[in-house]
Amino acid sequence: MSVAASQRVGVFLILDDGERPPARGGPPGLDLIRSYSSQLPEVVRVSTLPATPRPDPLALASAIRRDTLEAVVLAGANPGALKPAFTRAMDLAGADPARVRLARFRRGDGSDRATEAAQAAVACAVLGVPYHLATIRETRAVHAGTLVIGGGVAGIQAALEIADAGQRVVLVEKTGTLGGHMAMFDKTFPTLDCAACILTPKMVAVGQHEMIEVMTLSEVIGVDGTPGNYRVEIRNRARRVDPAACVACHACMEVCPTIVPSEFDAGIATRKAIFMPFPQAVPNAYLIDAASCVYVQTEGQRCGACVKKCAKQAIDLDAEDEVVLRDVGNIIVATGYEPFPAEQVERYGFRRYPNVLTALEFERLTNASGPTGGRIVMKTKRFNKRRKVEEWVCDPEGPQPASVAIIHCVGSRDRNHNPYCSRVCCMYSLKFAHLVREKLPDARCYEFYIDMRAFGKGYEEFFERIKEEGVAVVRGRSAKVIEKDGRMVVRGEDILGDRMLEYPVDMVLLSVGLQPSPGSADLAALLGIGRDEHGFFRELEYNADPTGTERGGIFVAGVCQGPKDIPDTVAQAAAVAARALRSVVSGIERDSSGGLTAAQVESRARELATQLAAL
Amino acid sequence: MAVRANPRLIDELELYGAEDVQKCYHCGNCSAVCPFSREPFLFPRKSMRYLQMGLEERLAGTLEPWLCYYCGECSEQCPREAEPGETMMSIRRWLTAQYDVTGLSKLFYRSWRAELAAVLLVALLTGAGFLLFGLKYGGGSLGVYAGPGAFLPASSVHVFDWILGGTLAALLAANCARMWWLTTGRDRRVRVPLLDYVTRAFLVPLHFVTQKRYRECESKRPWAVHFALVASYLTMLVLIMLFLESLHAAPANRLAHAFGYLATAGLLGTTLYALRGRWRRATPLHRHSHETDWVFLVLLVYVAATGILQHALYRWFGLDTAANVVYIAHLMGAVPMLAVEVPFSKWSHLAYRPLAMYFADLHERALARAASPAGAQSVPAAA
Ligand SMILES: Cc1cc2nc3c(=O)[nH]c(=O)nc-3n(C[C@H](O)[C@H](O)[C@H](O)COP(=O)(O)OP(=O)(O)OC[C@H]3O[C@@H](n4cnc5c(N)ncnc54)[C@H](O)[C@@H]3O)c2cc1C
Ligand code: SF4
Ligand code: SF4
Repeated sequence: MSVAASQRVGVFLILDDGERPPARGGPPGLDLIRSYSSQLPEVVRVSTLPATPRPDPLALASAIRRDTLEAVVLAGANPGALKPAFTRAMDLAGADPARVRLARFRRGDGSDRATEAAQAAVACAVLGVPYHLATIRETRAVHAGTLVIGGGVAGIQAALEIADAGQRVVLVEKTGTLGGHMAMFDKTFPTLDCAACILTPKMVAVGQHEMIEVMTLSEVIGVDGTPGNYRVEIRNRARRVDPAACVACHACMEVCPTIVPSEFDAGIATRKAIFMPFPQAVPNAYLIDAASCVYVQTEGQRCGACVKKCAKQAIDLDAEDEVVLRDVGNIIVATGYEPFPAEQVERYGFRRYPNVLTALEFERLTNASGPTGGRIVMKTKRFNKRRKVEEWVCDPEGPQPASVAIIHCVGSRDRNHNPYCSRVCCMYSLKFAHLVREKLPDARCYEFYIDMRAFGKGYEEFFERIKEEGVAVVRGRSAKVIEKDGRMVVRGEDILGDRMLEYPVDMVLLSVGLQPSPGSADLAALLGIGRDEHGFFRELEYNADPTGTERGGIFVAGVCQGPKDIPDTVAQAAAVAARALRSVVSGIERDSSGGLTAAQVESRARELATQLAAL
Repeated sequence: MAVRANPRLIDELELYGAEDVQKCYHCGNCSAVCPFSREPFLFPRKSMRYLQMGLEERLAGTLEPWLCYYCGECSEQCPREAEPGETMMSIRRWLTAQYDVTGLSKLFYRSWRAELAAVLLVALLTGAGFLLFGLKYGGGSLGVYAGPGAFLPASSVHVFDWILGGTLAALLAANCARMWWLTTGRDRRVRVPLLDYVTRAFLVPLHFVTQKRYRECESKRPWAVHFALVASYLTMLVLIMLFLESLHAAPANRLAHAFGYLATAGLLGTTLYALRGRWRRATPLHRHSHETDWVFLVLLVYVAATGILQHALYRWFGLDTAANVVYIAHLMGAVPMLAVEVPFSKWSHLAYRPLAMYFADLHERALARAASPAGAQSVPAAA
């Protein structure tokens, strides 16, 4: 390899797909990359090209000849696509066609880190030094512990993989129990396995694992240190019930006067201020929700009924939050998602009509261990004597719907809301249709979709099966839920049937999309990792490194990186565990491609270039 | 029947204002939120489809765009920002060009320069013509506005009005006939019995005068403004076509004048309202403006303003010469406005919309009749 410093190099910045050449300034970061490239002594020309249409080799050749370029660097998200044109152009221009080099990077939101990384990639390509060679850091000893943030199925899986390999894990979960969203589900698509049967044993295994320290009601509030050696500050909110002493006898719950909607039941049932999220919760003990507890809210002036009832003296209402420190080598982020707030799409009538339910509400309604024992019922009006108001409740004895409509893509693939596809809604909607047909064989079930995204293993077959089960699958996202003559009516265009439908229904299920967990922005800032344009944590390399982040020793798994189903989540979680174990087992942290400044990378690349030239 | 696709159709429509059609992914949201969309006329999604697929013939035969009043609900709710409402508006422009037998409409819509040039040309011809006429056959002196020896005697102008009116009506009628052929006549799926044509004909004047379908929009205001505009224009038309002489008569005909004042106020008020709306892009209807929309509105305001001025100069200030000059200036706006806009541009919808309601009714009857003996359901299968 000859890397003469006198080489005349042309840098071609290739815009992302669909980006137009900027008149001036341009998208975030681009200008910085351009000015950095042009000040490199080897570079004689920097120009910007759109990704499409592909440039004409003849025109390129004349440009190459004009500037007597000896090498060209194609820089952008997918520079390889233009390589053939440039190779041909170099040939036509009489230059060495082998000297077309690629600098791959993603500008993303134009954060400093992304820009630095892009500049570093350009520098390496200009100097003809492999990026990976120039960005290897001095190896350093790694702390063996791993922090997992988020106790959903992703966090659970990653923690178990690492702990089963004999390494220490600290698992930090925001709520009072492990499990995340999967714990709320009845069945999983497409196999219709019982969700709890898969998840509960894993949750228990985590809870009992000698290598895992579980912290519920906890959040990471500070991160210090470098890849391989992080010191993490964690705030543990007071549980106020000692999990070791609590035997879950429910005595406290019976006397507690406060009734609030249950988060775990997605609001279709209630809980007390002292409660257990669900019977299989891990840790399997009661906890107190400080925000609704009378004692805590009145600063000890009133109530305290539960303390007197507890035979085990497990309750300490005056317990305080505490902050603990943990040293770890790697951090796995698995904070999952929150469902799209359905009330934002007013025309679907969520909260206006009682029997318009969100997907999570329906998961709880149809769940055998849910408030109705899995009986699908319509909400009925009941007078709340204590609060003296009428309210709509899911009475286990209530009437069952004779017709159900399921509306896809609520908040997804919609430029007014989230433009991306949430990936799981089509499939869970089909799952819902199946559950409705199975439990209410006489009920009509309509499914309104835009495109059926049955992309996974066994999914297309599942779709076919649901159609055979007698579900009316309508192509066309229904647009409105209205009331006509006292009945709910779903109005939508049947595109394949070329007609306008107005179906009177008893129940509407809104298939809401997924969006990043609240607090993701703060967590990203805390950890020093990036987020994509929709707020999901950004992976280092979409294809090559979908679990790494810009910061060495910090990884992402599950929906927090982007919408995905359970199998993909579990697979990614296991992959992430392997990444953490790699550095723990080898004892050295070396995959920190981020972190170095462009200037550092450039000077190391120069050193390497002279060494390589001397070979 | 073979269906021919024109892959350039979508580019062509871009010249008429539809820029975002390709973004549509056919969720059907727009058709379902549209207060006017019902079988057998489902829109706007289907029109988006015709465009994407280049089904030129189908598109030329649709009545749907005339059933849309651009309340903008669909554009507001479209998840892809494909602007279905604006697309319907653009198709209306395109259809106007298709119906036009002379081909001038196509020219005007695609190039506002051409439209402007035509307006200016007709204006100059009008000005020159009236000047020459006044000098040669009229009173000969600009100093006399009305009465005997008037520069432009009302009776001559009146004759001219009738000639102009007749010509424009004939042109428009030819376009309407073509519209009938494209949408109804050639369509083999709809067989309309002659009797229906006769018994349902009342729909045309009904919709022409009341524009009652417009009232089905959620907001009643656009209809009210439009109704005021049309009522004012009709009043003006009647006054000019039938009572021009008495308007000009020296002792003012109070009744005719009262109507004239009212109509003028209505005209100015509504056009200024529309201009302001377009300028501020306040409603979806006004968010996108084609160049021809501006030409039309500016002409309207100009004609109304010069009309008032000419009237004021003569009646209130007794300035005959100035009144005559402004009168010619007024005609230089009014004539091209009518000559260009009525048969070839935006104003032609005064005929197409009521006709479309009429044809739509005929289609519906024909389709229902075709469906009923076969026993098929003509109403959507509601569960
Ligand atoms: C209605 C519905 C039905 C579905 N059905 C299926 C199905 O049948 N099959 C299937 O494969 N997929 C299904 N999915 C998708 C499935 O829910 C996800 O793939 C899976 O739950 C993702 O797991 P996760 O661990 O990444 O996220 P989550 O399950 O969201 O877990 C994240 C955890 O992190 C915690 N957390 C969040 N922020 C923090 C923080 N800052 N600090 C500490 N902890 C935090 C949360 O409390 C939560 O416990 C469904 C989704 C929905 C909405
Ligand atoms: S002290 Fe709090 S948790 Fe205990 S009974 Fe009272 S309100 Fe409920
Ligand atoms: S125009 Fe918009 S709302 Fe209508 S079908 Fe297309 S994408 Fe859906």
